[in-house]
Amino acid sequence: MNYLKDGTYTDVLKKTRDLIHSNYKLLTHPMSGSLKPNQTPYKSVIVTEGCGRIDYESVILIENSMDAAYKFLKFKKTPLWTEKILNDFKTVDLSLIENVIKNPMFNAI
Amino acid sequence: MRLELGKIKINNVQFGEKTEVVKGTLYVNKDEIIKLVLEDDRIISADVELARPGESVRIAPVKDVIEPRVKVSGGGEMFPGSINKVRQVGSGRTHALVGAAVVTCGRIVGFQEGLIDMSGPAAKYTPFSETNNICVVIEPAKGIETHDYEAAGRIAGLKVAAYIGEAGRNTEPDEVVVYETKPILEQVNEYPGLPKIGYVHMLQSQGLLHDTYYYGVDAKLMVPTFMYPTEIMDGAIVSGNCVAPCDKVTTFHHLNNPVIEDLYKRHGKDLNFIGVILTNENVFLADKERSSDMTAKLCEFLGLDGVLITEEGYGNPDTDLMMNCKKVSQKGVKVVLITDEFPGRDGKSQSLADAVEEGDALVSCGNGNVIINFPPMEKVIGTLDFIETMIGGYEGSLKPDGSIEAELQIVIASTIANGYNKLAAKGY
Repeated sequence: MNYLKDGTYTDVLKKTRDLIHSNYKLLTHPMSGSLKPNQTPYKSVIVTEGCGRIDYESVILIENSMDAAYKFLKFKKTPLWTEKILNDFKTVDLSLIENVIKNPMFNAI
Repeated sequence: MRLELGKIKINNVQFGEKTEVVKGTLYVNKDEIIKLVLEDDRIISADVELARPGESVRIAPVKDVIEPRVKVSGGGEMFPGSINKVRQVGSGRTHALVGAAVVTCGRIVGFQEGLIDMSGPAAKYTPFSETNNICVVIEPAKGIETHDYEAAGRIAGLKVAAYIGEAGRNTEPDEVVVYETKPILEQVNEYPGLPKIGYVHMLQSQGLLHDTYYYGVDAKLMVPTFMYPTEIMDGAIVSGNCVAPCDKVTTFHHLNNPVIEDLYKRHGKDLNFIGVILTNENVFLADKERSSDMTAKLCEFLGLDGVLITEEGYGNPDTDLMMNCKKVSQKGVKVVLITDEFPGRDGKSQSLADAVEEGDALVSCGNGNVIINFPPMEKVIGTLDFIETMIGGYEGSLKPDGSIEAELQIVIASTIANGYNKLAAKGY
């Protein structure tokens, strides 16, 4: 697991893109959740080691996600929230990814 | 299934000793509503306030909006599997208090979604500035976990709407509309010369504050399935989503789905409305593959000539939308997409987060990035504490005088992606 402690949403997307270019494959959508990219202090993405070649669907998905993120962040930066509100964001991000990990198919992949 | 929907027109709401409808005015007993809500010990306090069209009132933050209805006959009760027994609904007779709405408000998370203005420039962007609203303001018990509070708030809204709906049981409706869909072979043979059209209804299903329920089943645990269109009118689908105000499909919007309404209006005239395919918008990419494969399979199996597809949300759901579009098109079924757009404040960027070659027919529900300014209201139901953290809001959104400058996406249902709004886009 890679935890980018002081990283931003775009750092997560860039790291994900770099891994995809090293033959990793996306298992979850990089734009999960209804929070817009400029209101995303936390984001979890799951990738898996691929089969030795580039997964083009993952490439397209990550590039689209990065385009969308830059579009929103062009207008407004991510605000600095209080600890309480940041905990709320963490709770929702955890829920979105937890539901995937609990999926029986997840361990089969 | 055949459903008679009796519409009882409500043009005012007042507090009263007894919850009843008298000559178009809905009277509600405040104490009984509070007592009902507080039956759930996850909620520590509740209050009820009324908001009528044209009043200088701002309601924030809004969790859900529900139209009060009651099942008069035909089997089952409103909101099956959520607050009532999980019996099949969609047949017989249902009464609706049209012009009334239960609005739940209360803090769940710091970025709790949007607002409703009952008058002023922002009012026109939400349908709930035109309904007589019974606002239920709830406060969670101390230390309660967010999932529990979301569930408590959701159930409270449904219970209050069902309780108020009872006032319509023995009231003569002002209008009765009949909706009927027959089993597939009968339906196809009823209008053999008309194109067979279906509606693919995508349900939000990503996790906490991003969920929808069909007969009480979490949509992320479903596989695509067929639904008679009348089932939705009896509350078979309820909303557990409350993050993005502008394209949140409230339970009210499920009950009054505009695509279903408009397809029925043309049913038997220039199209044969076969029914609804429900599918979801999971985060796990493998789930998206499965759901879009099955959606396309159902479209082909039902022999559809064309489908309309709507989604809920932005980003992740856009991928499901495009996968459904591609795979359904590849089965030889014509597809039209209906959705809102986020092309930036200048309207020049890519509108959706994903696209496919087959997505060549789209009806837009408007641009959620447009900035609007709206003045302060005399009364606030709820609190304005979270305006700047709501989606569409930002630092400096809430001015000292109470006025707001924010993106249109802060207003409940302003660009809702099933078309129940007044915004669109034109190409030049």
